[in-house]
Amino acid sequence: MRRHLMILEFALSCLCRRKYKNLALLFAFSLLVFILSSILLLTYALKKEAIEILQGAPEITVQRTVAGRHELIPVEYINKIKTIPGVGKVEPRYWGYYYDPFIGANYTLLGANRDMLRKIEILEGKSFFSEQKGVCIVGKGVAKAYFAEVGDRITIIGADGISYTFKIAGIFKTASDILTNDLIILSNDDIKRLFQIPTGFATDIVVEVYNPEEIETVAEKIKKLFPSTRPITREEILRTYESLFDWRSGMILTMFIAAVVAFVILAWDKATGLSAEERREIGILKAIGWESSDIMELKFWEGFVLSSLSFFTGLIGGYMHVFFFGAPLLSTALKGWSVVFPTLKLTPYVSAYQILVLLFLTVVPYMASTIVPSWKAAMTEPDQVMRG
Amino acid sequence: MKYKVFIGIFIVELLLLIGILLFSYISINTRIDEMKYLRQLCQGLTATDLAIWTEARYTRHPSQTDIFSAFQDCPSCLEHFPAGSVLSPPPHFRRPLEAVK
Amino acid sequence: MTVVLENVTKVYNPGQPNEVWAVKGISLRINKNEAVVLKGPSGSGKTSLLSLIGCMSRPTSGRILISGRDVAKLPERSLTEIRRRTFGFVFQQFNLLKGITVRENIMLPLYPTGLSLTEIKARAEKVMESMRLSKRADFNVEHLSGGEQQRVAIARALINDPEIILADEPTAHLDTKLSEEFLRIIEEIKRSGKTVIIATHDPLVYDSSVVDRVIELRDGMIKETQ
Ligand SMILES: Nc1ncnc2c1ncn2[C@@H]1O[C@H](COP(=O)(O)OP(=O)(O)O)[C@@H](O)[C@H]1O
Ligand SMILES: [Mg+2]
Repeated sequence: MRRHLMILEFALSCLCRRKYKNLALLFAFSLLVFILSSILLLTYALKKEAIEILQGAPEITVQRTVAGRHELIPVEYINKIKTIPGVGKVEPRYWGYYYDPFIGANYTLLGANRDMLRKIEILEGKSFFSEQKGVCIVGKGVAKAYFAEVGDRITIIGADGISYTFKIAGIFKTASDILTNDLIILSNDDIKRLFQIPTGFATDIVVEVYNPEEIETVAEKIKKLFPSTRPITREEILRTYESLFDWRSGMILTMFIAAVVAFVILAWDKATGLSAEERREIGILKAIGWESSDIMELKFWEGFVLSSLSFFTGLIGGYMHVFFFGAPLLSTALKGWSVVFPTLKLTPYVSAYQILVLLFLTVVPYMASTIVPSWKAAMTEPDQVMRG
Repeated sequence: MKYKVFIGIFIVELLLLIGILLFSYISINTRIDEMKYLRQLCQGLTATDLAIWTEARYTRHPSQTDIFSAFQDCPSCLEHFPAGSVLSPPPHFRRPLEAVK
Repeated sequence: MTVVLENVTKVYNPGQPNEVWAVKGISLRINKNEAVVLKGPSGSGKTSLLSLIGCMSRPTSGRILISGRDVAKLPERSLTEIRRRTFGFVFQQFNLLKGITVRENIMLPLYPTGLSLTEIKARAEKVMESMRLSKRADFNVEHLSGGEQQRVAIARALINDPEIILADEPTAHLDTKLSEEFLRIIEEIKRSGKTVIIATHDPLVYDSSVVDRVIELRDGMIKETQ
């Protein structure tokens, strides 16, 4: 035990020899772990959050498709769907997108009925919302975009080109941003008028199913009843989100790979370019009675000290970045053209798998690159150091 | 006695990490109520998706997207940039044949 | 502790075009507490012989007995052990590690022994005292003069309290005054009961009264023994 500590002691002396180089390395390494862990933690937390919250999504959402495209759905379908055994409430949804050219933001307009709004409690201002016309509830993001407060009015241009104003009756609290940030909730009648939705049609239909086990069969029955519809089950939504937030995809992967490749190049450079000086030093150590295994241990410690400290620092930093500060560095990158973007206040989910992935992408290659090249040098006969 | 300094720092960082995991554990538990609220809200709104990327239908409502949403089946879906940088195509577009079902 | 060589040869790159017979069938015996010089021109095989004796390399053929034990066939691990316990090396280029202090350089051989840091430091303090290096203990070695560097190298060789000290061209980088000082140190070491083997072609060394015996090498063979 003491022997190991002494070798560690000497490894630290060796690291101190190139103090600035190693500090720079420590910094770069920590930064890499910081970036990677921020991405991993953020995507994982988003995914978990989505899956937790979307447990509340409708059991079945029925869309109609025409020629493979989403189309308005006839409200009369509801009556037939209601006859399917196990089905509870069946309601039309009226919703769509509204692009505000002045602010350049996209909002989601959602029609509300009295029933569903009775359940909404996380509201600022008045929490009631009768089905009266000309009133809306907006998400925090929308309120911010309009610099609006409860009681203010917002203007929306309808499909008929006429401006409609709505009084803000309530604003969703920040805590619900992830669900409500870009929402403008109007009464169903207002939405229909605004979007000029023909009577007898809705955007889609949500179906309640009492027994979760029956959701799949009900969906199949709906599909059989109305072959032109696409019933989306809650299970599917969850599955979508399960695989949606995926750090292995797209740009993140590109960034990820770039970072890892740069890192591996660094490591490889180190691995192959064991300098003459380093080789000589290994020879000296051998000559004065260090065993090959001692030298490997020395190299192990050198790698371990650097990578463990970097790993901890980077991971802790990444965690604080994502969960204490709402990932400001990443969200600016992720925001893109979304003008309305929620403040990410996420539940700090962490999984052992992520930490393992991080370890394998950073610490393991680094350790390998310090130990492996020394291997050969440590194995050769030490008499080379007798000559210049 | 450099090794003592290192071991000290190592232990401090390890404790910090453990502290963070503990914090996670506690927060997850304290947020149970909040999550319940959000779930209810989701139910109340009949929301099917999170309001994160408001750029387009296929990023705002990934679960509702249809086959005609832009470039859905591109494997790296960079056209969703930057939303696509964390979103991969929904599973029903990963294998086109299955999606037809 | 005696060192016996029986018909030892060392061939570098055997079977290849650049094959070199550095040591050709040398037999000799070095007794305990003897001070022996291996003398010979450059390329005569002194360094090769020294590294064979010091278990730094293995002979191509022949036997090397240290305290009666044939080391030629020992596994790597035991060789290292013998090297550490029995031999102290003073290399021609001193072979100190730059960037670390005199003290740490001297402590080097003891790190993997399982001694505590306090003990290692105490031992280092002792040898530094005897080598008059105490004042330089916290200097980095590259800031020392040549003579001081050699004293560090000697101190490092002595810290294990080895029975045999091996020195390769120890005076090559020293002026006359420092060389004489080196010989005084060797005398002290010898007086403490250690065996000393020096490879050199410096007359100052092989003519010195400290030396008990001079073995002259030429082309890898012993020319004559005085
Ligand atoms: N690693 C090696 N590979 C090939 N030849 C070597 C090697 N080491 C030494 N030699 C050769 O062995 C011979 C003896 O060298 P050496 O023992 O260093 O002599 P000295 O120390 O007396 O100058 C020289 O010809 C040298 O070139
Ligand atoms: Mg030589």
